[in-house]
Amino acid sequence: MNEREKILCPVCQVSFILKEPKEAGRAIVCPVCGAVLVMVQEGTVWSLTRPAHLSLEEEIHQRVDNFARLRGYHFNEMKEAVVKGLLSKNQRFGDFYCPCRIDNIPENICPCLFTRQGDVEKNGKCHCGLYWK
Amino acid sequence: MKKVMLYALSTCPFCAMAKKYFTSLQIPFDVVDVDLLKDDEKEVIINEVQRISGRRAFPVIVIENDVIVGYDELRVKEAMEK
Repeated sequence: MNEREKILCPVCQVSFILKEPKEAGRAIVCPVCGAVLVMVQEGTVWSLTRPAHLSLEEEIHQRVDNFARLRGYHFNEMKEAVVKGLLSKNQRFGDFYCPCRIDNIPENICPCLFTRQGDVEKNGKCHCGLYWK
Repeated sequence: MKKVMLYALSTCPFCAMAKKYFTSLQIPFDVVDVDLLKDDEKEVIINEVQRISGRRAFPVIVIENDVIVGYDELRVKEAMEK
């Protein structure tokens, strides 16, 4: 992979240009969704994986905090209740699917596609009330 | 008293707030946690929710003929007082 090559985020499924030096095991933050990811090398191929060194609680807290920071969004007193809903979804369905949407599909993994595509800008908050403008 | 129907998910904090709101004000309401239904029943209710709200997101609150998507206390009050 050359320096300008894109790398795929396994959480939001968006490819982005990796700015950090390539180093197996290095933790980075997806600039699109805020997910904490770890660099993996297999032969000459580099990829990103979910962080095994974090607990689920740490992973989702870091992700939502990073996403809010990247977008300039805020939280309110509902944050922990929504995070609890996300953890409950993970426990039942295997990923951090939106706790307020019925469909447990990749587009609804927090931060969901609606949120990444501007719901907070349009409505002042995401549907769940986790991220606020 | 107006007929109130609350479509909810067991994982959704604003659904919990809506339940708490109606309970605390002693407003009679019907509620269904859609994600806890059996598959065939779930599909029927999801289709119903999508038909009335245009979305597959919760909560959806139906007060007589008013459909409120999301928990908006002001809109709930307005619908109750109509």
